[in-house]
Amino acid sequence: MNRNRGIIAGLAVLVVLAFGPWIGGIVHIDTSFLSEVLLTAIAAMGVNILLGYTGLPIFGNAALFGLGAYGAGLSIKNLHVGFVVAILLGIAAALVGALIIAPFLLRRRNIYFGLLSLAFGQVFYFIAYRYSDVTGGEDGMSFARPPIALGPLHGAVDETGMYYITYALFAIAIVSFWLIVRSPFGKTLVAIKQNELRVRYLGLNADRFILVGILIAAVYAGLAGALYGLLLRFAFPLLLDWHESGDFILMTMLGGAGTIFGPLVGAIIFVIGKDIISTITPAWEIFLGGFFIACVLGFPKGILGSIGDALARGRVTAEPAEELVPAVAIDQARATIQSDSVQ
Amino acid sequence: MSDALLIADAVSKKFGGVQAVDRVSIEVGRGSIHAVIGPNGAGKTTFFNTLSGFFFPDSGTVRFDGADITNEPNWRRIGRGMSRTFQTPSIFPDLSVHQNLLIGTQAKRGVAFRLTLPNAKQRDEIEARVDELLGFVGLAAAKSRTVSELSHGSQRLVEIAMSLSTDPKLVLLDEPMAGLAEAETDRVISVIRDLHDRLGLTVLFVEHNMRVVLSLAHRITVLDRGRLLAEGSPAEIAADVAVRDAYLGKEVIEHV
Repeated sequence: MNRNRGIIAGLAVLVVLAFGPWIGGIVHIDTSFLSEVLLTAIAAMGVNILLGYTGLPIFGNAALFGLGAYGAGLSIKNLHVGFVVAILLGIAAALVGALIIAPFLLRRRNIYFGLLSLAFGQVFYFIAYRYSDVTGGEDGMSFARPPIALGPLHGAVDETGMYYITYALFAIAIVSFWLIVRSPFGKTLVAIKQNELRVRYLGLNADRFILVGILIAAVYAGLAGALYGLLLRFAFPLLLDWHESGDFILMTMLGGAGTIFGPLVGAIIFVIGKDIISTITPAWEIFLGGFFIACVLGFPKGILGSIGDALARGRVTAEPAEELVPAVAIDQARATIQSDSVQ
Repeated sequence: MSDALLIADAVSKKFGGVQAVDRVSIEVGRGSIHAVIGPNGAGKTTFFNTLSGFFFPDSGTVRFDGADITNEPNWRRIGRGMSRTFQTPSIFPDLSVHQNLLIGTQAKRGVAFRLTLPNAKQRDEIEARVDELLGFVGLAAAKSRTVSELSHGSQRLVEIAMSLSTDPKLVLLDEPMAGLAEAETDRVISVIRDLHDRLGLTVLFVEHNMRVVLSLAHRITVLDRGRLLAEGSPAEIAADVAVRDAYLGKEVIEHV
């Protein structure tokens, strides 16, 4: 019953998002801006699988995001690939980056995992910044948005087309996310977050699970980054910077780490909130910061996480207070043995 | 060929300048209940940790079921049929009792790494196994409760059930009675006895409580200051003068 309600709510969100450009027209929000919200949510989902479900703070996530953007951009510029291949190569670039850093990250946990991922992220940032022959350095690198050729879809991609491509990939991303967290693999990730030692003493190599978690995060980040590059027709070093990583972490925690729709809620509030406040005052960071403090105090587990807890509290009332079956009821044989042993 | 399931030979472990375990050997017979006792700081838990792969010994060898596992990672030992509990129950505190048992049960069936749901038949098998384990420790009624809400004794039973979810041959219990009330102790004693009597498992446990040790163990190993002091049947150990001086004597001093 509860699960069905969740599925219905999720489908309702997807239906509403299908009318994104139309709704955006009414409230004067650019379609490209809505694309940015959705692709940002995809990247935050990658953070969520590690931070929210496995308990690993991935502070270097923007590097994987930026690798997605550069991977798509460089392959368009140098290999003249089409839209779909550019996205696939963006994801591949993020996966390669993740495979390089994962062996090191696997040796650390908690805040040390976070700091190490941040350090590696900055290494990628400086490569993008310094290796200007290839990346354009500080100025960034512009490229064309190639036409798409996928089944019935072909031709140039305008802003509305970009939104619907992002929307379709977002839908695939969130449905796969839902399937992953319900799978035995996903449940084991949650167990690792709870108590990694016990997971090992249940015969599971936790490192293998964390490695796959990192690669899943890389796929989400790379996909989002490739879409962002194609949206802007531009890639620049700051995409890989730790500020960007911090934004992904913030919006995941704001919406609710460990919930399926938390990253979307966080991305909507973060991206749109930043835009709205920055048109009102140049000191927008102060107001956004104040808003986050209020959210952390009001919703300690993020907006969706805290609402979910409140709903669960309302439901658990009729649970049995008795945890143990009375000893006599378990087994006559055991009762006999027990009475023998207690002299 | 002896019929020992677990053999440790001259195992040593040093922490800084402290020789926590000094050339200790043990043979745990198949189908026996074997206790390791000794005063505080005798190296019982350190010895246990080298057996279960929590860390590796500096020297000596550990053999399990015929294979040398001295430097094998802990998770791989579980696959060979070893499992353990900890002094403080090592559980998934915020998950339900059901979820706590699910992880090991699905791991044993080789589906833990799957990104898709197991099929209906596998799911039924897994659920049936979880129910069976909960019935064994008498926690069937607590299946949907969050583990951290349960009493300490029930958390201990959840942990024992978790350690059974991987279908072990040998169960290592590190001070299973630590922190339990008297009534809970009796309950855990009966469960440990059933591990042996009903499931036919081999049990090795560390324990302080002499009443528990004498009522359960077939064989007892006594450690003192990291060394093997004595080994024998409960009757032999109870009669051993050296043990009485080292162990019971110190206990008395501790309580004064």
